[in-house]
Amino acid sequence: VNVERNAALADNAAGLKLTLYVAGQTPKSLAAIRNLEAICSEHLGADNYQIDVVDLREAPQLAREHNIVAIPTLVRQLPVPIQKIIGDLSDKQKVLVSLQLDQLP
Amino acid sequence: MSVDVAEAEELRRRLHEAEDTLRAIRDGEVDALVVRGPKADQIFHLGDNESYRAFMEAMELGAAALDEQSRLLYANSALCGLLGVTFEALQESGLVQAMGASAGGALAALVRDSAEARATAELALPARGGRRHVLVTAAPLSLGFSTGRALTFTDMTERIDAAAAEESQRVGRAILGSSADAVVVCDARGHITQANPAALGLLEGSPIGRDFDEVFDFAFTPGAGIVTPGDIVAVTLSGGSVRNVEATLPSARGSRDLLISTAPLRYAGGAIGGCIVTLLDLTDRKALEKRQSLLMRELDHRMKNMLTLVASISARTMATSAGLTDFKERFSQRLSALAATQDLLATRAWEDLLLEDLIRSEIAPFVPTASARVGLERLGVRVSREAAVALGLVFHELVTNAVKYGALSVEAGRVLVSATPRADGGLEVVWREEGGPPVEPLSRRGFGQTVISRGLGASAAEPTRMEYRPEGVVCTLTLAPSAVVGA
Repeated sequence: VNVERNAALADNAAGLKLTLYVAGQTPKSLAAIRNLEAICSEHLGADNYQIDVVDLREAPQLAREHNIVAIPTLVRQLPVPIQKIIGDLSDKQKVLVSLQLDQLP
Repeated sequence: MSVDVAEAEELRRRLHEAEDTLRAIRDGEVDALVVRGPKADQIFHLGDNESYRAFMEAMELGAAALDEQSRLLYANSALCGLLGVTFEALQESGLVQAMGASAGGALAALVRDSAEARATAELALPARGGRRHVLVTAAPLSLGFSTGRALTFTDMTERIDAAAAEESQRVGRAILGSSADAVVVCDARGHITQANPAALGLLEGSPIGRDFDEVFDFAFTPGAGIVTPGDIVAVTLSGGSVRNVEATLPSARGSRDLLISTAPLRYAGGAIGGCIVTLLDLTDRKALEKRQSLLMRELDHRMKNMLTLVASISARTMATSAGLTDFKERFSQRLSALAATQDLLATRAWEDLLLEDLIRSEIAPFVPTASARVGLERLGVRVSREAAVALGLVFHELVTNAVKYGALSVEAGRVLVSATPRADGGLEVVWREEGGPPVEPLSRRGFGQTVISRGLGASAAEPTRMEYRPEGVVCTLTLAPSAVVGA
């Protein structure tokens, strides 16, 4: 199942672009999707971020782009520098710090 | 070798990322890895521990995993619930130990026996709320570098209890069916759920599913303290009982007299789920009692009459006797005549008698009734009990006189007895003697003559006529219609 989702692909997305790498519907993958959606809806406006969810079971070759080893992994592509968070994103505080969401405009 | 700042920063970032990846794997935060293949990358799922455990937790069966040394690795909450302990407590005590000496020993043996293949045993486990009957299956469980055991625990208690309940229900139904008393079972709403054949015999159509008070429209004996059939059910459902209350049940098959008793139907735990009503049918017994009581009163009445009659016979025989020997002989004969009639009546259960039988029994001691000396005509008529006793005495006197002085005192003489219906429904019976010695009018009137002329009493339609004709005595008796029962 391709679970690619675009929460808000507007051109005016304010520069936060996230890619979540999952592997089908493993418990950790599903948990990571849930947790990320919760964090974004709580801390970000509806139209100032973009999330791509990439199912590596469907397209394993996409792992190379960001050198993904463990699943699930969340990659902050924008703003640079690229940041990775490995795991199911259940530690909300750690996610916020790692993505530096608090420093967004 | 010099490394510029940007490179150093990049290396630091990659090191951090590598460390974070390892940490995430070690901490179980990831469940899949990307493995580089010669041609394409592959996704490799890490152990299914979580989903396996989630699956085990969702099972209703108890489940556990033991390592090679039979140490508890895992027990699902169904098993912990079955044993009434927490997983931590179970892990601390050990599964085998938590099951007590008997079941624990059996489980240890089962674990030993299942090293190569699946093995099963039934155990009785000490559990919350009493012992539980459990079917335990043990199978080898591959654990990386060793082999443990996977155990499942299927609780059979309810199945066994249900089988026992079904068996006891079957026994209950058999008892109900074999009971001669009517038995009806009602649920908590007073609806009839069961009725045995004896109960069905009291009713028109099936009562199942109907209200008790609608089906059993009892009329209660005044003073029973019960007003409606619903009272019986209500009293019983509230935990009381009804003992031997008499009531009548009007039905198309005739009114039945019943003795009602009830008891609450208690479920396990004591809750009242319905009531059992037993109906003892007294109708036949009551009719029998009534008949017995009537018979007793009748017997008493007859005994008194008989004693009066015997006293009277004794007094009159005494008054007309020449001496004690004469008295003894005639009194005995009269008592025998009385006894002959009583015998006949007794064989007919004290009802009516055939006139011919009655006359034969009186003549037979003196002359064979089948001989030419006795002619009996049209005597196939039934007479009442009272008339039979009187006629018996009258014919005894007639026969005695004929044997002593009349037609039966000589070989050529004969007696003819005949009956003719009267217009009023009564009967005329004529005793006619012929061929005997010439008859002379009586010089003196003895008790015998009194018995003949007045003996019929209320059974007579007219006074008895006694004619002393020279050719032979003729006696005409008339029976009232009430003394004649039928042909």
